[in-house]
Amino acid sequence: MAEKPKIAIYGLGACAGCDQAIIDLNEVMLQVADAVDIVLWPLAMDFKYSRIQAMQDGEIALSILSGSVRNADHQKMAELLRKKSKIVLAMGACACFGGVSGLANFCGKEDIFNWVYRNAPTVINPTGCFPQPETDLNGYKLTLPEFFEHVFTLDQVIDVDYYLPGCPPPPELIGNAIVATLAGDLPPKGSALAPRKALCDTCPRNLRKPNRMEIRSFRRIHEVEADPDECFLAAGIICLGPATRSGCGETCIRINVPCRGCFGPVPGVMESAPKFLSTLSSLLVVERDDEIKEAIDSIDDPVGYLYRFSQPSSILGQKIAKKGLEN
Amino acid sequence: MEAYNPKVVCFSCNFGWGYLNNEETLGATILNWIPVACSGKIDTHHILKAFKAGADGVLILGCPEGHCHFQDGNYQTRKKVCLIQKVLGAFGIEPERLDMEMAIDPEGKKIPQLIARMKNDLAKLGPVKRI
Repeated sequence: MAEKPKIAIYGLGACAGCDQAIIDLNEVMLQVADAVDIVLWPLAMDFKYSRIQAMQDGEIALSILSGSVRNADHQKMAELLRKKSKIVLAMGACACFGGVSGLANFCGKEDIFNWVYRNAPTVINPTGCFPQPETDLNGYKLTLPEFFEHVFTLDQVIDVDYYLPGCPPPPELIGNAIVATLAGDLPPKGSALAPRKALCDTCPRNLRKPNRMEIRSFRRIHEVEADPDECFLAAGIICLGPATRSGCGETCIRINVPCRGCFGPVPGVMESAPKFLSTLSSLLVVERDDEIKEAIDSIDDPVGYLYRFSQPSSILGQKIAKKGLEN
Repeated sequence: MEAYNPKVVCFSCNFGWGYLNNEETLGATILNWIPVACSGKIDTHHILKAFKAGADGVLILGCPEGHCHFQDGNYQTRKKVCLIQKVLGAFGIEPERLDMEMAIDPEGKKIPQLIARMKNDLAKLGPVKRI
C-alpha cells in the first residue's frame, strides 16, 4: 500500500479557533483522517517535536499553520515546518494578515509588559518581576521564548505557498483547501484559496441598497436597531464589505452584524484599509469643513475598526523580519 | 550633526496648479513633486506609501471649492484627508504632517513657497518617530 500523504496542523500565536474550525469539518474529518497521516496536531493529539525534526526535508505534504509570529518559539516552529513541508498553507486572519493580535503593534513591547505585569489594576507585583528569556534557579537554567518587539504575519517570517483567510475560515473552505492540495489541483503559488469577489457582491442586503448612498453621521451597531435586510453602510453603520473578500458565507451579515474585514483584501489589492477609507470618504455627504470633522469624529476608534485584522500587513504597520529575528 | 531637512511629497492638480508653466522646467526645481490629473485621483494608499517611503510630510494642492474640472474631486479628497489624518496618529505620524491647500495658481510659483512653509512647520515637529 502506498504511503499516505502526511499533514501537520500547528497554531503559532493563535487562539485555537482555526483548529476548532478544522474540527468543525465533522464527518468530513473522518474521511480526511482516513486519507492522510496526521503527523502533528498539538491541539487534538499527542506528538513529539523530535519526530518532526528527524523527518526528511519536504516529507510532510501539507502544513497548515495558523496564528501570527510573536515570539521565538513561533518562529522556530514555523521555520521547522517550512523546512519539512512541500506546501505551507497560512490559515486564518492571524497567519495571513496578523489578525486581532496584530493590534498590539500600536503599542511597544515595553508598554505591553508594563501594563500586563505592573500597571493593570488587577496586578500585584511588588518586586517588579518581569518574565525573562533566561533565569537561573537553584543551578538550573530556565528559559522562555523571546517576546519580539513586533507581531509578524507568517509570510514575513517564512515562505508561504497558499493563504486561507478568515477568522476563522469556514469549514467548507478548509475542506476544499485540503482536498485541492492532496489532489494537486492548485492555483498559482501565493493565491488565497477563497473566492475572488468582494463581500458586497455576494451580500444578500445588496438587493436593497439605495441607488445613491449618503452617510451624514456614523452610528455603531449596538446604538441602533438595524433593519435585518437593509445595507449597513446606507444606515451609517461601518461595514467593511466593499473592501473585503467574500467566502465567509456572510455569517456576520446574517446575524445582523456588519463585516469586520477578517477575509482581508480582494485579489490585486495590497491592503483593504486604505481602499475602505477612500470608499467611506466618498460616501460621506457633508459640506463644510467643520461638518466633515464632526462626522469623522463620530467614528469611534477608526483605526481599531479599519486595521482590526491587518495591522502587521498594512502599508504603515508592516515590518519585514530581519536580523533581530534570526538565531 | 547634520541639520534636519524634512522631505515633503507634494501632489498637485494639473487643472489648478502650474498648468501655464512647463511641467519639466517646474519639476526640475521642485523635489518630490507629483502633478496629477485631479486631486480626487490621489488614493489613500498613495499618501500612506509616501509616508512609508520616508516622507516627513505630504502636501496636496487641489482646486478651490466648486472649481473642480471633474465636478467634485477636490471635495472628495478634502474628506479623505480628514479621515486619513484621524488614522495617521495611531501609527505615530502627527496629523499635521498631511495637509491640503485648496487654491488656484496657474504659474505654479506658489508651489515651492507652500512646500517651504510646510518644511518649516515640519522642522519644529522633527522626524517621524515610528515606522
